[in-house]
Amino acid sequence: MPLMVVTVFLGGWEFTVHHMDIPRSLLPAPSYVYERMRTTFSPLMTNAWPTTLETMVSFLIATVGGVVLALALTSSTLMNASFYPIVVFFQLIPKIALAPLFVVWMGIGSTTRIEFAAFMAFFPVVISTMAGLRATPGDALRLCQGLTATPWQVFFLVRLPYAVPYIFSGMKIAITLAMIGVIVAEFISAERGLGYLIVFASSQADTALILAAILILCAIGLVLYGLVALGEWLAMRRYC
Amino acid sequence: MTAKAKHLDLWQVSKTYQSAQGPVEAVSDVTLSIEEGDFVSILGPSGCGKSTLMMMLAGLESITDGVVVERGRQVTGPREDVGLIFQDATLLPWLSVLDNVLFPVKILKKPRNEYLRRAHDLLAMVGLSKFENHRPSQLSGGMRQRVSICRALILDPPLLMMDEPFSALDAITRDEMNLALLDIWQKNPKTGVFITHSIREAVLLSDRVLVMGGRPSKVVCDIKIPFGRPRPDDIAESPEFNKLCGELKQYIQSGHKRTEDVST
Repeated sequence: MPLMVVTVFLGGWEFTVHHMDIPRSLLPAPSYVYERMRTTFSPLMTNAWPTTLETMVSFLIATVGGVVLALALTSSTLMNASFYPIVVFFQLIPKIALAPLFVVWMGIGSTTRIEFAAFMAFFPVVISTMAGLRATPGDALRLCQGLTATPWQVFFLVRLPYAVPYIFSGMKIAITLAMIGVIVAEFISAERGLGYLIVFASSQADTALILAAILILCAIGLVLYGLVALGEWLAMRRYC
Repeated sequence: MTAKAKHLDLWQVSKTYQSAQGPVEAVSDVTLSIEEGDFVSILGPSGCGKSTLMMMLAGLESITDGVVVERGRQVTGPREDVGLIFQDATLLPWLSVLDNVLFPVKILKKPRNEYLRRAHDLLAMVGLSKFENHRPSQLSGGMRQRVSICRALILDPPLLMMDEPFSALDAITRDEMNLALLDIWQKNPKTGVFITHSIREAVLLSDRVLVMGGRPSKVVCDIKIPFGRPRPDDIAESPEFNKLCGELKQYIQSGHKRTEDVST
């Protein structure tokens, strides 16, 4: 059913562009976008690779860092009282606006883009992991306490497994935010990457190339999200 | 009768919580002894502090005032030789039935192989041999609670504490579980502290029943149950059984007004 809708939509688009003689720089027909993608496939791929890699690295940093910080914040009331409001504050503000600051402070290298994207993706992981770590049933904790379990045992054998579904819902948000972070950083600072390619193509009024790059981004985004969802499925089979 | 050794000794044990409305005394001045091998039920309406009392005996709640001594040593916190059973089975959903039973072995870093046989035997005793590799979510409530009993018994603790273990089950399953527990006790005698609000359950299972009530909550009645063991399955239909239940019901209803009459 959605496939039919898409087909009709693309057909209508193609027809309208030809029928009304819309210039290519304004709105190229789908067939031309495909053509452009075929002819520039190699540069598209060269630029897709750094974007994908930086997204994955920043996602991993955000996930590991987020889980560790969530553990630290739930382990003591003092830590929680001091830092949790700050985490919520950062979760709520539009972090994209801080992108230029990252460039000013850290230059225009790949590291800057990874750090900014990790910063974008980090907070949802912290918040959902904290919710997960707090969701452990009280009786399970009392059982461990009664067995004189160490805090590390309680964390790894009970609290972390109970938090798995929460952590993955945070990770699913994080992977999309990491990608947005990388693209935005590429818009303003990059010398390569699909975000850079989009900015470059728009300066040339090459709308077909912009659309081709967006198409590749969508594909990458879907695959990365799919990988996280696959990981979630495997973890849920193991832990739920 | 030979005098039995004392397993637990409570001396003027009290628990006071701090609440927004000021201190609330949940348990007040409980002094009693529990003897080795006795199955003692603590009976009372909800909110009477019976669970709090058990948690203090288990070392999971701090004791505001008074002293609890277990086999000559003062109780200051949890210790591994107490088996705990909660109202909810509290199984870890990602572990198999067998691994749930062996969970205490893992926590206490004991050799798994040495306890594997015992785990098989315990699960066989409660009729769950075929379910060893199932997940808890595939079992009924009664089966889950039986798994949690096996888990509490795996290290063969000399003391078992049960906090309303069957109150979340339906009446039929509950009767089954009571008989199963009687059977386990027959094969595996140890000291038991059993929290319940069911009079019949308390009389059926126990050697002794303590009734808690009043505000602040005290032990208002302490009755020995005269039935020997093994107990026949139809003991709950006997006139003596029903007479005892009726007496206990009176004590519960009259609350702490009767406190003076039953001072040891």
